[in-house]
Amino acid sequence: MTQTDRGAGGADALSSPFTPGMRDNPEELGRYVDGIVGRPLPLVDGEPGHDEPPTPEQEFAAEWRNAAYNCFSSGHKFCREVCPVMQVTRNESWTPTAFHANVVAMEKGELSVADVAADYVNCTQCGACELRCPNTLFTGDFYRFRTRTVDVVKAVRALAVDQGVHQEGWRTWNARTDERTHEPVLGDVPVSQEHVRDWSAGLDLPIGGETVLFVDCEAAFYRTSVPRAVAQILRLAGYEFGLMGEQWCCGGPAAEMGYVDQAQRFARHNLDDWRSTGTTRVLVLDPHDYISFTEDYPRYFGDEYAGIEVVLVVELFAQLIREGRLTPSVPVERTITYHDPCRLNKRKGIWKEPREILRAIPGLTFNDVDRVTQWSYCSGGGGGLPVEKPELTAAISERRMEKAAGLDVDTLVSACPWSERPLSAAGEGQDIDVVDIHELLAVSLGIEVGGTTDGGAS
Amino acid sequence: MTLQAERVDEVVAALRTVLADDQILTSKTDRFNRARVPAPFPVHRWAERVPDLAVLPTSTEQVAGVLRIANDLRIPVVPRDGGTGLTDGAVPLHGGILLDVKRMNRIKELDLDNRTVTVGTGINMLKLNEELARHGLFYPDDPASYPCSLVGGRIGTSGWSLIGSRYGHTRDLVLSFDHVLPTGEVLHVGDGIGHKISKSSSGYQLKHLFMGHQGTLGVATEATLKLYPKPEAELSPFWAFDDYDDAYRCVGALARAGVATFAGAVLFDEWKVAYLRRDDEAYIPQPGDVRALVCAVMYGYEDEVRPAGRRLFRIAKEHGARYLGDEISEGDWAARHDRYATPLHGRTKDGQVVPMSWHCEDAAVNYTNLPSLSRAWHEIVAGLRRQTDVFDDWGMFAYTSADTGVDYLTEIDVGIWEQQLDDRAWELWVRAKRDIAAVALAHQGSISACHGSCRAGEVDLVPDELGRGFDVMLDLKRTLDPHNIMNPGKYLLDRAYETGERP
Repeated sequence: MTQTDRGAGGADALSSPFTPGMRDNPEELGRYVDGIVGRPLPLVDGEPGHDEPPTPEQEFAAEWRNAAYNCFSSGHKFCREVCPVMQVTRNESWTPTAFHANVVAMEKGELSVADVAADYVNCTQCGACELRCPNTLFTGDFYRFRTRTVDVVKAVRALAVDQGVHQEGWRTWNARTDERTHEPVLGDVPVSQEHVRDWSAGLDLPIGGETVLFVDCEAAFYRTSVPRAVAQILRLAGYEFGLMGEQWCCGGPAAEMGYVDQAQRFARHNLDDWRSTGTTRVLVLDPHDYISFTEDYPRYFGDEYAGIEVVLVVELFAQLIREGRLTPSVPVERTITYHDPCRLNKRKGIWKEPREILRAIPGLTFNDVDRVTQWSYCSGGGGGLPVEKPELTAAISERRMEKAAGLDVDTLVSACPWSERPLSAAGEGQDIDVVDIHELLAVSLGIEVGGTTDGGAS
Repeated sequence: MTLQAERVDEVVAALRTVLADDQILTSKTDRFNRARVPAPFPVHRWAERVPDLAVLPTSTEQVAGVLRIANDLRIPVVPRDGGTGLTDGAVPLHGGILLDVKRMNRIKELDLDNRTVTVGTGINMLKLNEELARHGLFYPDDPASYPCSLVGGRIGTSGWSLIGSRYGHTRDLVLSFDHVLPTGEVLHVGDGIGHKISKSSSGYQLKHLFMGHQGTLGVATEATLKLYPKPEAELSPFWAFDDYDDAYRCVGALARAGVATFAGAVLFDEWKVAYLRRDDEAYIPQPGDVRALVCAVMYGYEDEVRPAGRRLFRIAKEHGARYLGDEISEGDWAARHDRYATPLHGRTKDGQVVPMSWHCEDAAVNYTNLPSLSRAWHEIVAGLRRQTDVFDDWGMFAYTSADTGVDYLTEIDVGIWEQQLDDRAWELWVRAKRDIAAVALAHQGSISACHGSCRAGEVDLVPDELGRGFDVMLDLKRTLDPHNIMNPGKYLLDRAYETGERP
């Protein structure tokens, strides 16, 4: 007896197990008349008045509907406990599941963009939910599918701005960025175009050239020790590079907060500036810039962007160590753990090279936590969250530092300048230093880094 | 949504006497996102199940305060924890206050000597186990929703655990808990009154009563759980068979072997194997003559698991099993929680990929009735598919529920194309659910081993299943919840109120 030969009278093709779509399936399977499916799927439910033009929400949903349904239909919610915002708020309205479900509700006319906009603030765009989603994790390769919560969040924020629904903090932040061509980070160095290279004082770096080092706003104006470390390491390795002619903010934060036009204007400026100095290679020390240059810019510029090579400094340094062009030799007596920056580990799958660098530094005791466990870690510093909800950023950083404290370390090493400010604040309570990986490597290479780690006068 | 705007204002004003402003949520998104569970429901009827407001209490006292107010004002209260259940326990049917306990997720006490942990019921088992691992301990409540379901929901549904044949199910693992009654009174429920007592014969045994009630009798807020040493060894062989019959005989023999480290066995039927072939890159690539699978799992110390494994391998071989190798066995078991059911596997009959919701209908049934019940269930789903591609058969599993092999949780996974789930399709589905439940009863089984049975369709047969016991349910409900405020509309319990009183 198998389940197939039940031998009951009247059995048809549906009475036996089969895998839909296989070549040798009975033809009968294509002949059933469907009583329900087959009518065109209406964009709007068949209520009176549906002949009216679709609302902006419905137009938006038409683009995102199927992506949203793949989550809505799943209902697994396995993303929930890895979401940094959810972990500290326990608010089901601020979960990846809700961000997809809202799209379905907008399509159905149940919710408007004004109803949902404020909820979408509560996301650091870390990408943990996408990795943890069973749709991505187990079947994504086969179906060439990846859950795209980060894109959905960015798209809803853009729709909100487009519809004139603003979050006050973001509106102001972007207006000031527009004014100064850099993000209005706080610190002793005034944020403006004439001060964007102040961090490099005394290093005598050239301008322009085939390769330039792009320094994000936080590192250029607040944690200037990071670019100073990077520039001096590059010089030590004999790696030629210059600074940008006129560097503006990469535009990534504006894109993340939904200010798409501004983001594209800034991107356009930077690309034109690279072209004007004959630049074909951009070195990036900040993971957020790395996302902008490898994901946003290609979308904005298409073929025009061809020929620009984007190099992540952490990967470059690991390579230079491998090739023997850098040999860290000054012992650094610290017990450390490494914080995987979300945009490297979760968004880009880069987790090996930073560890390679750390293992090359003598004197370190390295209490590592694997990259998958770190899917649920975050500093809370991304996606514009600290601008609108600094209290959530602080809570997320505190949680991250509690994990570090459990490892009995004196130092947490990060590779993302934007994470280092909130993590440092949280670290004070735990008596744990937060050090940037580039700074640490520089020390082990015998470099006097200089600069400041806290926005103060250097 | 059922309350007038002024009435909502009145309720909010009263709630402010026990909760802070940020614990009371009234926005549309806050309400819409607490109206759903994974079980499919027509999207165009979403608004019918939206609560009037949601609250996020952080203590037993706050929960008690909310229930006192709701009882005074005669406002429905629906408790919600993970919201991952499949029988709508956490779904409001008549609006009211949605009481979301996710913020009560602290570990309150870890007692290493008595091997217990006391937690807020909003905590997730995986997160709890991350903490317990540092002490070499674990809490072995392991549902398919392990990464996201929460302890309170496990109590409210009296959950079932994949490895329950070794460690017991939620009812065995939860020693006691604080429970807030519909009137706002707080009681401690356990064996006797003890917090950490696993067996008492003092008084009525109330613990079972306050588990699995789907939120109709109150809210569990703080629970004391039984802990085990984190197993040193895990062995989870997967075996392939030429046909269902051999696999069925094998799973029975494995379960009856009485091996102490045996934590469970799973039977994949021929439909399930055909379903898994939809995605043969992500799933075990198997030759065409594999038509059924059996997996068994053992937990314990290395020197217990090894000989036990040898015994089970011998039994499997005698039943014509082919071992699938270590990689598949270890990988598939490790990935058990999210391996199989994804919307991307949805298909029309002729093979078009469409996003489908996974839905699972379960029953508890004796071993000897499994084959006949499976045939009848597949035929019900085939009947749906003859009419429309809204429904898809994703095959069946049968899992051992106990260490002797007496009964099994069996489930049929049904893909449902939610974008196309209109009123007619929903009616077809409700009827099918009723038929599925009827088949379980006709096989001397119970309508549900793990989800509960209070969704449309199946719920109609609960009085048939319980007989006089259902009247006792009505009596208890009336006594404990005089104004029918706790999760009204569930389990046909409105019948307890002669006038049909509903707030």
